[in-house]
Amino acid sequence: MLYPQKISAKKCNFIKRLLIVITVLISIILIIINKLTTPKIPWAALSIAGMIYIWVTAIYSINRNTNIASHVLVQIIIISILVVYIDYTLGFKRWSINIAIPILIMTANVAMLVLTIVSHKKYIKYAIYQLIIFLLSIVPIFIIINSGVQKNILNIIAVSIATLSFFVCIILCGKDMKEEIIRKFHT
Amino acid sequence: MIKDKEIEEWRRLDNSAKIFPISTGKKYSTVFRLSAVLKEEINPETLRQAVKIALNKFESFKVKMKKGFFWYYFEKNNKKPIIEKEKNYPCKYIDPKTNNQYLFKVTYFEKKINIDVFHSLTDGNSATNFFKEIIYTYIELSHPEKFNKEYRVDRKIKYNTEDSYIKNYDKKSKNNNTNRKAYILSGKKIPLGGISVIHEIINIKQLKEVCQKYNVTITQYLTAVLIYSIYEGNYKKARGKRPIKICIPVNLKKYFNSITISNFFSYITVEADMKNEKTSFEEILDLVKNEFSKKLTETEIQKTMSANVKLGNNIFIKLIPLFLKKPIVKLSYIEIRKYTTATFSNIGRIGIIGEYQKYINNFLFLIAPEQVEKIKCSACSFEDKIVFTFTSILNNTNIEKNFYEFLIKQNINVEIESNGVLDVISSKN
Repeated sequence: MLYPQKISAKKCNFIKRLLIVITVLISIILIIINKLTTPKIPWAALSIAGMIYIWVTAIYSINRNTNIASHVLVQIIIISILVVYIDYTLGFKRWSINIAIPILIMTANVAMLVLTIVSHKKYIKYAIYQLIIFLLSIVPIFIIINSGVQKNILNIIAVSIATLSFFVCIILCGKDMKEEIIRKFHT
Repeated sequence: MIKDKEIEEWRRLDNSAKIFPISTGKKYSTVFRLSAVLKEEINPETLRQAVKIALNKFESFKVKMKKGFFWYYFEKNNKKPIIEKEKNYPCKYIDPKTNNQYLFKVTYFEKKINIDVFHSLTDGNSATNFFKEIIYTYIELSHPEKFNKEYRVDRKIKYNTEDSYIKNYDKKSKNNNTNRKAYILSGKKIPLGGISVIHEIINIKQLKEVCQKYNVTITQYLTAVLIYSIYEGNYKKARGKRPIKICIPVNLKKYFNSITISNFFSYITVEADMKNEKTSFEEILDLVKNEFSKKLTETEIQKTMSANVKLGNNIFIKLIPLFLKKPIVKLSYIEIRKYTTATFSNIGRIGIIGEYQKYINNFLFLIAPEQVEKIKCSACSFEDKIVFTFTSILNNTNIEKNFYEFLIKQNINVEIESNGVLDVISSKN
């Protein structure tokens, strides 16, 4: 016999499907309870946003379990979206932009700095993520300049930390960063 | 193997390889398989060791694929390759996530060792060299008492990873081929993504005698038999109007003296326009012979290759970001594939050093069928047999049956082996 006679046919991911069904059911129940009890406070929407965040994190962690820097990048993006949404839902008092996002930027950049120092030999793996995180981190500068966001100390500290972290990385691993840019952008 | 220089930490994909990861998916795997049927049960641990040793000699296979902004590229992979018992259909999509990011997969079943290779990594010719190294090493490790002296000491081959397409294409060459869409095979498909495999093991001596009678090569003869089988088994019934077009891959390494381990192949398309109600096999064979003599020339191959390289080198195509290239290429590939009825790839004789031959029963070569080209054919020969393989997603074996019956009528001995998905002609054995 040259071939196995029992072929493992397509296995449907039962647990994943079950979890999706449970999430959808819980969401519907939360919306109904919210509408019936406290319709003026949209707490169900916040809970659903939290569940979506957990799903995105879980799916990304399962699929891309190799690079820590990519997790830092994904988290900075999805948590930013989540906090802005929560802020918006609760009347947009701008605490997300003035407090939450700057803290997020600080944490992400400190994490990248630690990663660079601890494992600078593997830095080439992190280089492109470091670059994107830096570019995202300086976005508040443009927001400060172009809009009515309070020029608060947290935003300035966050951008300063991002810039400092970026320059430390360039000094320590500039060659790797250049190499990674050549790889990623070769035509 | 001796390498020209130390393997780079990363390398670009060659001109052919660039397109595969963009167009590929679960239904279009672009994976081919080489198998060796040995005369003894496979020991998984010995195989694991053999792959490890062979991989150290062929470091260009020790890679993973990474996404760039414009193209994919290869990066060194330091993980261990996964060796498993065969449990799925052959030539299925290799999911890097479940394969330690390797682009090839080694499996075993009873006396058979398989390697499934994603076409981006290399072509059939270079994959054969790597696979032979695995088989040699496996036999040596299994029989240390017989192989205590080095039989392969003078067998070192030099290779590099250059993109021979870029090196050899002619910027001024013009491809004037006017293309017509091909007859597409129709019929019910095997459910649940099943693939039927039918190996027709042909006596090479008898086949050569028949080929000599008609003054044709083995590839030309088998191509004609394939076209005739499609004509009788599917074309007539479906009242096909478009020509039957068979794509024949051509190994460019011998034409351009290349020692690259990357892809370096092109193809010719043999076109058979069935205008008459009753077309005889002899007429088809004449047609195939003419097509080969017209198209299998250095000038014609150069034209086809150069046209493809120019397309890949086009600055506008180069500068489209990868995320946009993907849908564009996928859509255009659905259209491009409509220009071929089936592919027939013959990798020729697999030469094995004498001392090792007695441990091997046969070699098999398979290519993945897909939604448009529902049947793919491949062949390789070893000792006195040539194995012609049909891989198909069609739920009938009309073409395979016609092919078998035609050869039998020509007094050529044919044995059948299959994976049992469509056990129709296996009963004839």
